[in-house]
Amino acid sequence: MLQKDIHNFLERYFNSNDCELLERYESMLHVQLTIELDKLLMNRPFYWHYQQMTGAEPNPMKLKLRTEQAEDGSGDGEFIHFGSPRLHQIFQSTKQLGSYIRLYENVMQNNQSYIPLVPWLGLNIKVSYQCDRKKDLLHSIGLNLINGIMVSEFQSLLQAKPLTPKIPDYCYTMSSMIKPVSGIKRIESYIEQSILEDDPQWSIDARKRWQEDEELLDHFYQDAEELPESYHVEKQALKELYEPKVIVQIINGGMFYLSNHTMMH
Amino acid sequence: MTFSIQHDQTWASDFLKRMDEDGPWANWELYQLALEAEKSLIIPEFLGLQAPRHIPHVQILPHQLEVARKVIEDMNGKGILADEVGLGKTIEAGLIMKEYMIRGLAKKILILVPASLVIQWTHELNTKFLIPAVPQKKAYVWEQCDVVVSSIDTAKRSPHRDIVLNQDYDLIIIDEAHKLKNKKTKNYEFVQHLKKKYCLLLTATPIQNRVEEVFNLVSLLKPGHLGNEEYFDEAYRSGKYNVQNEEKLKQLINKVMVRNRREDTGLEWPKRIVKTIPITLSPTERQLYESITNTRKNTTLAQQHAFSTITLQREVCSSREAVFLTLKAMSEKEGISDEARNSAINLMQEIENVDRNSKAEKALEIIQSIDDKVIIFTEYRATQLYLQWYLKQHGISSVPFRGGFKRNKKDWMTHLFKNHAKVLIATEAGGEGINLQFCQHIINYDLPWNPMRIEQRIGRVHRIGQEHDVHIYNFATENTIEEHILRLLYEKINLFENVIGDLDEILSRVGMKNIEQHIRDIFYDSDTDGEVRIKMDNLTSLLTYSDGEGDSYASEGHS
Repeated sequence: MLQKDIHNFLERYFNSNDCELLERYESMLHVQLTIELDKLLMNRPFYWHYQQMTGAEPNPMKLKLRTEQAEDGSGDGEFIHFGSPRLHQIFQSTKQLGSYIRLYENVMQNNQSYIPLVPWLGLNIKVSYQCDRKKDLLHSIGLNLINGIMVSEFQSLLQAKPLTPKIPDYCYTMSSMIKPVSGIKRIESYIEQSILEDDPQWSIDARKRWQEDEELLDHFYQDAEELPESYHVEKQALKELYEPKVIVQIINGGMFYLSNHTMMH
Repeated sequence: MTFSIQHDQTWASDFLKRMDEDGPWANWELYQLALEAEKSLIIPEFLGLQAPRHIPHVQILPHQLEVARKVIEDMNGKGILADEVGLGKTIEAGLIMKEYMIRGLAKKILILVPASLVIQWTHELNTKFLIPAVPQKKAYVWEQCDVVVSSIDTAKRSPHRDIVLNQDYDLIIIDEAHKLKNKKTKNYEFVQHLKKKYCLLLTATPIQNRVEEVFNLVSLLKPGHLGNEEYFDEAYRSGKYNVQNEEKLKQLINKVMVRNRREDTGLEWPKRIVKTIPITLSPTERQLYESITNTRKNTTLAQQHAFSTITLQREVCSSREAVFLTLKAMSEKEGISDEARNSAINLMQEIENVDRNSKAEKALEIIQSIDDKVIIFTEYRATQLYLQWYLKQHGISSVPFRGGFKRNKKDWMTHLFKNHAKVLIATEAGGEGINLQFCQHIINYDLPWNPMRIEQRIGRVHRIGQEHDVHIYNFATENTIEEHILRLLYEKINLFENVIGDLDEILSRVGMKNIEQHIRDIFYDSDTDGEVRIKMDNLTSLLTYSDGEGDSYASEGHS
């Protein structure tokens, strides 16, 4: 993310959380937090505890964020860059606020007949390949809960559509043939399959590194009559360090009811 | 299968609950933002460094980046960081720590440092690396905080010890790790039992001439890397020790150690311009010096005073105040003979005849001729106080500095010196982490007998960030013990011109870590100046000879 992207991200974030923008410049935002966001971001549980107890007028804080630093370091407000704790706190909060969703395609309806909307389960999934090193992959999968068809890059397809949180007039939702709970399972096993088809060289290499270190460790203690505790501690630590594993984590997801003419195959 | 697959189920259960309860549901924009945030945090490759873009305000030098890369990619996160003093080992360690944290590979982290550096490490991690490190102050910190900085002495003591040994640390960093070279110590045993995935040992002087010390340090990091003890004994310590063997050992050590030397970094280092300033004692000062020297000829006194004569001789070369304090302490010592007490009192009376301080006058002259800030280093508190007073008499403002100052007092004094005073008068290098690179002039008012301390003094200003040449003025009082030290030893080994780091290697290679004691012995056991000269020559040739040799166990730091 460039500084410009961060600025845009922040502006969208505060807008979508219904915060009033008090000032807005190219590289500065001054916002009035809502009570909810104050609780999420400002880390002052005691204030909110007392406010609730005394029933005083709630007074959420204002936040001034800059994405460009004045050359002499002047200018009030918090400087935000990609590594700043505040941004990561905001990132974290989006996960909390944007995890579960249900949306309907906003179909334009001319004649008076009713239009069926097909239920889709959409999941954004992070796959982490981890040993003493790590890398991640993101998948965006959509599953048609009527016919079981699965599509990748689901998120970009959604982004091209008009979506609304309320079911549009003259539309009805078809009932799922596949339950959401089995839908999740299907997507998970699809992901698993794709992981298994991947090149496993990274895990073979990690096991090799693991084995080398373990052999050194065994050699180090080979003359010991009884293996001391430090041997077992180190052995366990090597396992935790090198043992290759893949962690599949759902970032967010939800139900999407889309019109049938969607060309998803 | 060569790996396992784990599914995180937390999302699914909550989602199904919301399906049943018809919400609550997020809005579309926040849903997209959550995904965008995650996308920006994705680690796209096993290799490479993510950390630098998280800390854009930190200037990371190329050799520091390379060390971080090497430790992570070639050493699997277990390494001895052994750069020479001043090249930024803390930055390297912080960079590696940050990288593992960003990748989610390290969460629980323990940093063990000397007690005097706890606050500074904490501060640097928070401000430079934006890592919320906490100094260990209360017992609950061990368990409740993820990144803890503590001294090893605290951590190994009950009740902390059991708590600490029970934690599953992902990463452990140990500063000044060369102190762990002896495996019979409690500290060694403690570290050996810590559970650690990744481990960084930081040291500026890992290369000792004793192979078992190398063995012990490496065995802490990666047991078995140098074989087990018996094997190691056999291969490297017994008669089989030879060049071929040594090369092999060096290669093995290079696999777990990175060592950059100044010349490897490609950085332009400012020059050191060294001047010896001869000082002639005034007649009364000379008289006092001779009287003290004469006490050695009195055998009963000499036995009682033992090394004190040498101490007093050195002190006369600094200030009469310094001599006075030592004499006063001697005369008040219990169990001292009347003869010794009287001789101390006589000398104290003689001090009163001293009417001026030749060195202070010279110092003033130099300070006045420099249109810039000056640091004066002295060995003695009494001299420090005197100089502060003396300079003030001449309208020059100065601030004192001692190693024993608390961290914030050190910072405050540094601040005062930088912004308000012309002179800083320090009794010690002030420990690591005090950076005075805005100053380019150092007066060595008197010389320590431990050459490493001179390196540390100069290292405060001759370091990364120094943009100008550094001027060093060494005061040498003619025809005294001080001149011997300077002329016979320090100048011959080019102490002042040599860059930091060379010396510690030389000293440790010849097994001369207690060089101070050797020097003392030379002065004490020699009857004539000629004898002193010959012995010093021998010492010097030992040091310069080994200077020309290859560095036996030193890693080359780049392969």
